[in-house]
Parts: sequence; C-alpha cells; structure tokens
Amino acid sequence: MSTVKASQHLWSASKLTYATLIVAGLMSIFPIYWMFVVATRSSDAMGQIPPPLTPGGNLPGNIERLFNNPDAYFLTGMINSAIVAGTVTFSVVLFSSLAGFAFAKLRFKGSNALLLVIIATMMVPTQLGVIPLYMLMSQLDWNDRLAAVIVPALVTGFGVFLMRQYASQAVSTELIEAARVDGCSTLRIYWNVVLPALRPAAAVLGLLTFMTMWNDFLWPYAVLNDPENPTVQLSLRALSNGYYNDMSQVFTGTALATLPLLIVFIIFGRQIIGGIMEGAVKA
Amino acid sequence: MGANSRRRLVTATAAAVTVLAAATGCGGDEAADDGTITLTVDVFGQFGYEELYKQYEAENPGIKIVERGTGTNLDEYSPKLTQWLAAGKGAGDIVAIEEGLLIEYKANPQNFVNLLDHGAAELEGNFMPWKWDQALTADGSQLIGLGTDVGGMAMCYRTDLFEAAGLPTDRDEVSALWPTWQDYISVGEQFVEADTGASFLDAATQTFNTIVLQTAGAAEGYHYYDLDDNLVVDTNPAVKQAWDITMDIIDSDLSGKYGAWSDEWVAAFKQAKFATIACPAWMTGVIEGNAGPEAAGKWDIAKVPGDGGNWGGSHLAVPAQSEHQEEAVKLVKFLTSPEGHIGAFKAKGPLPSSPQALDDPAILEATSEYFNDAPIGQIFGEGAKNLKPVYMGPKNQAVRTEVENAVRTVELGQRTPDEGWTDAVNNAKTAAEK
Amino acid sequence: MTAGRVAQVEPEQPAADATRPARRQPEPPHRRPRLWLARLDTKASPYLYIAPFFVLFAIFGAYPLGYTFWVSLHDWDLLAAEHPFVGFDNYSRLLADGDFWNSVLNTLGIFVISTVPQLLLALWLAHLLNRQLRARTSFRMSILIPNITSTAAVAIVFGQLFSREFGMINWALDLVGIDAIDWRNTRFGAWVAISTMVDWRWTGYNALIFLAAMQSIPKDLYESAAIDGARPARQFWSITVPMLRPTIVFCVIISTIGGLQLFTEPLLFNSGPNPIRGGPLRESQTMTMYMFENAFAPHFNFGYGSAIAWMLFALIVVISLINVLVIRRLGNSTRKQG
Repeated sequence: MSTVKASQHLWSASKLTYATLIVAGLMSIFPIYWMFVVATRSSDAMGQIPPPLTPGGNLPGNIERLFNNPDAYFLTGMINSAIVAGTVTFSVVLFSSLAGFAFAKLRFKGSNALLLVIIATMMVPTQLGVIPLYMLMSQLDWNDRLAAVIVPALVTGFGVFLMRQYASQAVSTELIEAARVDGCSTLRIYWNVVLPALRPAAAVLGLLTFMTMWNDFLWPYAVLNDPENPTVQLSLRALSNGYYNDMSQVFTGTALATLPLLIVFIIFGRQIIGGIMEGAVKA
Repeated sequence: MGANSRRRLVTATAAAVTVLAAATGCGGDEAADDGTITLTVDVFGQFGYEELYKQYEAENPGIKIVERGTGTNLDEYSPKLTQWLAAGKGAGDIVAIEEGLLIEYKANPQNFVNLLDHGAAELEGNFMPWKWDQALTADGSQLIGLGTDVGGMAMCYRTDLFEAAGLPTDRDEVSALWPTWQDYISVGEQFVEADTGASFLDAATQTFNTIVLQTAGAAEGYHYYDLDDNLVVDTNPAVKQAWDITMDIIDSDLSGKYGAWSDEWVAAFKQAKFATIACPAWMTGVIEGNAGPEAAGKWDIAKVPGDGGNWGGSHLAVPAQSEHQEEAVKLVKFLTSPEGHIGAFKAKGPLPSSPQALDDPAILEATSEYFNDAPIGQIFGEGAKNLKPVYMGPKNQAVRTEVENAVRTVELGQRTPDEGWTDAVNNAKTAAEK
Repeated sequence: MTAGRVAQVEPEQPAADATRPARRQPEPPHRRPRLWLARLDTKASPYLYIAPFFVLFAIFGAYPLGYTFWVSLHDWDLLAAEHPFVGFDNYSRLLADGDFWNSVLNTLGIFVISTVPQLLLALWLAHLLNRQLRARTSFRMSILIPNITSTAAVAIVFGQLFSREFGMINWALDLVGIDAIDWRNTRFGAWVAISTMVDWRWTGYNALIFLAAMQSIPKDLYESAAIDGARPARQFWSITVPMLRPTIVFCVIISTIGGLQLFTEPLLFNSGPNPIRGGPLRESQTMTMYMFENAFAPHFNFGYGSAIAWMLFALIVVISLINVLVIRRLGNSTRKQG
C-alpha cells in the first residue's frame, strides 16, 4: 500500500464537509442577519407577522440618529472599549503565556496546588463580587476611570489555564531540555522555543480576550457611572433606555460595535491556522 | 521570532504601559477651580426636569446640574443605588426613590440626609399628607425625601378597537360604561364577543394591582401589611376581594396574557393587540412611546372603574455621602416645589403630589394631543387630591411580587384560582421572612 | 557539555539530531554563565512567571472572594449599618429552601441540555474546519460571529424569535401545522430556548479552541495511520482525540464553570417584570439569578445571596471533578481500543 487515497486523509474536504459547514454558518449568521434587517428598517419590524426578511433602506438615517444621540456617547464608547480591550488583550496573552509555560514545563514546588487554586478561583460566581470590588475601587479612587476596568483583568485564570493546557500538549519537552543543555536561560527558552509553539493558542487567547473585554457589561456598568465616559456596551445600553426602545437604533449600534471585532478576528484569525500544508514544526 | 518582531513587541509593551498610565489618570472629574459646583441627579425613567435645570442654573450661577440614568429601568437602577449606598461612594447628590422601595431605604435612614435638619418642615403644606408621611421615619424624627409625583388612576383605551367592537368611543360615555369592576368585566365580555382579534386588556397583573390599591385604599388603608407591620395578605378582605375580581377577569378570557414590560407587551402596543390598559398618570408617556406616532389620536382616557387609587410615585433624597449637601437640598426643594411639579408635568406628564400644583390652571387645563385632546390635568388631578393612600409595609416589594406572580400563574393557566391563592399566601409569607 | 552544568542536566538523549530541527537553533551564550546565576534562574523563574497572576489576584480577586464568604456568615443587609454574625445559619436555611433547589434543578437541566451537545458539536466543527478548505477564513469567521456580538443584542433577537405571539419560530411552526409553544412560560420550553441561545453563542468559541489545539498535532501521525489503512473516522478517534486530551479537559472545565454560572442569557431572555425571577414559577431561574435576587432588590439579603454563591461554587467543584473523571475514564478506554 504505497499510495494512499485522497479520501483517506483526515484533512481532505469532502462535499459533506462543505455542506455541514455551510449549514452551520447559516445558522450562526441568521440571527445577526435578522438584526441587520431591523437595523436597516425601523423598530416595527420586530413584531411583524410575517416577519420581513429583507433589509430596508433606513441604515444611513439610523446611523445618523445613533451618533447624534445625546445620551449614548457612542464614539467615546467605541474608543474607550478599544483602549480597554487592546491593553488587556496584550497583557493577558503575555502574562498567561509566561505562567502557562511555567506550569506546564517548568518544575517547581507547589505547581500542581497553585494550578488547582487558579482553577478553583474561576468557580466562584462573580456577580456579588461587584460590591466589594466596587468598594475597593472607591478606596483607590478609580471610580469612573478606565483603570478600574483594565487593571483587575490584566491576567486571567482562564488565560493561564488555557496556555498551560496548550503548552503541555504543544511544546516539546525534549526541545526545552536541549535548549537547557545549550545553556539557554529560562527567558530565552520562553522567547525562542515556547512562544513560537504557542502561537495558535496565543492568537485564540488574544481574540477571545479582546472579544470578552469588548462585550463585557456587568462590571463596567457597576463601576463606570459617568455617562460621558462609557464603554461601548454601556453606550448600547443607553440607547435602549426608557420605557420604550428604539430597536433599530440599538441594532445599528450593535452592528457598528461589532465591526472592530470582525477586524480583530481577521488579524488574529490568520495566526490560528498555520496552514495544514506547512508541515509539522515539532517533533 | 526574529529581531524585528522582538523590537515590535518591545514597542508594543511601551505603548501599552503608556496607555495604562494614561487610562489611570484620565476619566475622573477635574476639580472645579472656578468654584462651580456640579450637582449630579440620579433618576430612572422620565422625570421631566430638563427645563427646570436650566431655570435653576440661570437663577443660581455657580451651580451646574448633570442628570444620570434618564430612561433607565427601575430594575437596573435599584441594585445600583444599593451598591452606591453600601459602598458609601458613587451616588449622585440627589437620588430618586420609587415608593415601593422607599420603605426599604427608609429603614436605614442613616444613608440619607435628614431633610428636617435643613428646614424642610415648613414645606409640609406643599404636599399631600400621606405623600409627606411616606418619607418620614416611624418616629417622625427623620425625613429622607420630598415627593415628586403620584400615580393617579384612569383607564386608557383604544378608540378604534372600541369602535370595531361596537362600543362607544367618547370618553364620557366610556366612563359611564363601567362605574364598577363588574361593569368593566361585562363590557369586556361584550368586546370579546365582537371578535376584533384583540384582547380586552393587556395583563391581569396590571389590573390586579390597580384593584387591590383601590380596595385597600377604600377600606382600611393598607393591603399586604397592616399599620403595625404585620403581614396580613391572607386575612385582609381587601386583598381577597381584589383577587376574586381578577379571577373573574381571567375567567372571562379578557386578558391578552402579556407579561407587563416585556418585549411582547411592547410589541403588542404597536400591533394594537389589546383595547384597554390600567393607566396611572405616568403610563401615558409609556403608551405614547410604545405605540408610536402612528397611533396618535387613537388612544383616549376614561375614568377608572371603582374609585380612584394610586399607583407609583417617587421622592427625591440626598444621600449622606454627598459632598454638597446644602446645595443639593436646595435643588431638591426647588424641584419638588409646586412650580417644579408643574414644570415636570408639562414636560413629561408625571402627576404632581402638591395640592397647590394640582389646583393650578396650568394643570387643570392641560390636554394631551396624543390622547385625542383628553383633559389629562382634570382627569388625573381630580382623583389625585382625593386619593386614598395605601400603607406599604417593610417587605412590600417582595410580597407584592409574589402575589402578582401568583396572579400570573393563574392567568397563564398554570394554576387554578385556589392553588394560585394558596401560592400567593405561602410565597408572600416566605418572602416576608427573607 | 561544560563540566559546570553537569549537575543540572538530565542524562542526555542519544541521537540528538531528531530532536533538534534545523530551524530552531538556540543561540549559544556569548560567555559561560555563572553557575549560581543559572541555578537561580531555574529555581526562581517559574515563581516569577506565575507571580503577575497571583499579585493581581491577591488584590482584585482574593478580596472579593474572602469578602463574600465573610458576608455569607452574617445577616447582612446591604443598606444597614450593623451586620450580626449568624454562622452557618444562611447555609442551613438554604438547604431547606424550595426555591433554591428549584434553581439548582434549572441550572443542572439547562447545563445538561446546553453543554453536552455544544462540546460534541464544537469538536466536530473544529474537525471539519481543520482541513484544506476553500474560503477557510469565511467559514471560521461565520462560526465565531455568534460570540462576537454582544449578549444583550443577541438576547433581544432570540427573545423575539421565541416570542409566543410575535416570534418567528412559532410562525414557522405554524406553517407546518404545529401549535404555538409558549416558550417563556413552560419549564421545558424555557430550557430549550435558553440552551439554544447558549449553544448558538458558545459552540463556535469552543470549536476555535479545539481548532487551535489541532494545529499542534503533527501531520506525520496521520500520514502513517493512513498508510496503515486507518479510515478517517478511526484516525479521528485514535489520534486527534487523545492528543487533544488537555484541551478537551480545559473546555469541559470551562464549559462546566460557565454553564453552571449561567446568568446573562436567562436573565435577558426573561424580559418583563422582575426578569431575575425567571418566570412566574421560576421556570428558568438559575442559581446565579437566585443569588442576585436575594442579594439585591427586593430582598436585600446580601448574606443569603453570598451563601448561594458559595453553594454554587461547591456544586461546580463537584461537577467539574465528575466531568474530568469521566473524560479520563473515556480516554483510557479509547486508548485501550486503539
């Protein structure tokens, strides 16, 4: 059996594969498409039977109303969210990869116990922690400041855990040993051996962290009470205020708020798949 | 990773640190070095104070007013206010408190400035006595708020649906149709028979709340708790009476079964899926917003069945943590003065709690274009002065929630009326003890 | 090997070439590092690398945790000035609280319906995406789009889709002759609707994590298996899944935590009066919602709410352990078969 049929390769893409992915894609996109339809029409579209399924022409009008909305500070929200999400993503990826590497590949006393502590801390629901954390922020005088949203999120248990699992699976211990033999310091090992191997996980972590911070609502809502200094989710909330909601404005805002995420995805997405044909790097 | 990427990484780190430093610094309020004091007012919903703020700022140079939370849901506003009070920081200089929650906040008066210490006692005549008492602690030594609006009750109806069902549409004729709730049910049954495709009313829970406030007000003046703060939900005949009437309403299939304030309820306005809705004064703004401009002139206001009733209303309080207590109290006095009440009414329609304001021609002659030029000032104002208040006990909000939810379970067919009543009583008792 | 480093390094592997691909040649040091420096590096750097997490956690994580535990031992009204100590009274009251157990039931029910299919689906999707596909980026993006959009907006859309009278799903059911279902007000209907929301949102997220992990599996393994005659399905179960074990454990634990802590989706699904209640009969009230309802309006009993938080923590620990054990057991059995 010297030749292998193409269909036996695990990575060949059959018609069934394409069909499944297309269906999955459509199901994922449909609710978003529906939002887009409402965003380009008016709020009446929400309750109509039969529901309208094609976009209307109201988008420019809705966008204009969105940016002129005096209560929402939408542009400020977008900028603030970009600052918050960008800073936190960078920090999380950096510190999580360091810690994940340490837990996975370096031997030190207490590593298992500490890892379990990190996982355990993720298991306590955080909604009530808002109160003590808010009190802490009051003492630091960080109320209504972006620091209150950025600093607590700079390293996450999720990030450390993810990197640790990935590193244990993807970073070759032999390679590290060999580098040690060559006299490399731990930092250099991290830089030259570990980090490149972690690239797909780092990209995923970066993407997911950015998205989580961009979409975070509960904590910013608790601590950023100055309506003029919101994050984008708070702006969107301000849009749907009142006894009545202008759904089309809300969805227009949501669509616009999602655009940066799409851009970030395109940037990071390339890193996630090295390309199945590039060949294995690790032995 | 080559040297280039390393350099990029270092630059990125430097940039991130700078941003972090900047973020830590920016966003706070600058100290006003020209002596301007900024007063922050925390509200929910629509209080209608924009013009009043401008007037006050013009008359008081050196004061700047910022309102937060306009249009927020009460469900979101309340945890936040609690958070600020518990943390001792973050609340505005003035906060609005809804009557249902006032009891809870009043139980801990140390969180608020005692307005009696700031000369509020002389303003007592500006308010209806029960409204004044609501914000007064049990021993009468502390006043934590001054009243803004009151509920006042009417019944709003859709003229086009009434016409389609062969019912009169003129508001006086409609008011004459239902002097009692039994008459209201009869009209409803007539409406249902006409099969217009819409329900007669939106939600039984809304009607229940209206009725219980009426029956309680007409009787002893309390519903779930008696005046000694004992839970009497099961023994108070006013509550059972309201429950039984509501069961009749559900039985006659008059309800559209919408969850009040849900998305479906909002959509139902637009689609004209129900013909009447219990209408405290502030509901007119809700109807206008939800039904939209297309429905202008299609809604009208009639008298409510039964006798008056009050639903809702708020007070303005000054949290003890405010750094500008004197100025805040002054602003509160202004906003809750008769002129303030009139100004708010003209803007957003909340009904004044001040007897002087209610007698003012500006109120008496006010009409609403949206509601077919209904004389809203008269309709609501007439009832407001004579309304009989209902005392609210300590865990009023929690108990009320349980009872109304029990109504809803019967409305949805999940429970029989008897089971629902048992649930209401048991759950209310549990909630009161939490 | 320099003599000074003998003590540090393990016995060297023979045939060093196979372990050192040409691309990654670590640079030899310019001068010999001192022994103590190298030893310090090995001993201290792990702690240094994990320090940032623990420092931040000590300030911003440990304090809220400790605070909520401390609060759960008191009769703590957020607005009051005094908070009497009651020991474990809150916890014992909880165990007797019917509504609490109702929320546990809801939480577990929604968790099972949502998390299990979600993870399987995510694994499968990742598997499909891990191929030579045309329009790769578009497919990848399409499954992640649900997670990109804000939960609030999504909840509004799904709330509308599942609306009793105005919803698209009931409209579609009507077209095929099925009666409209009152999704919000039946227990099973609410569970299904919420699980659909959760699955829709998080499947792509987990698929992406799996996909990234699949990148680290060397292609040669598949090659040799194919040469040996293994069918693609066999390759998947015998190569991909075992090699993904750490990532699968990760996703299972994270999904367990997230699934049992579900808060935003059911809260936003229940639009109407006091949504935190999860429906008039609390059909879709999860434990976090119950916790919130007790801690804030209308009960304002922060101590009781905090006790619920810690009970949830205990539940999550238990279920996570069970899940991990199950994975381990399954992993061992597939390995025996493979």
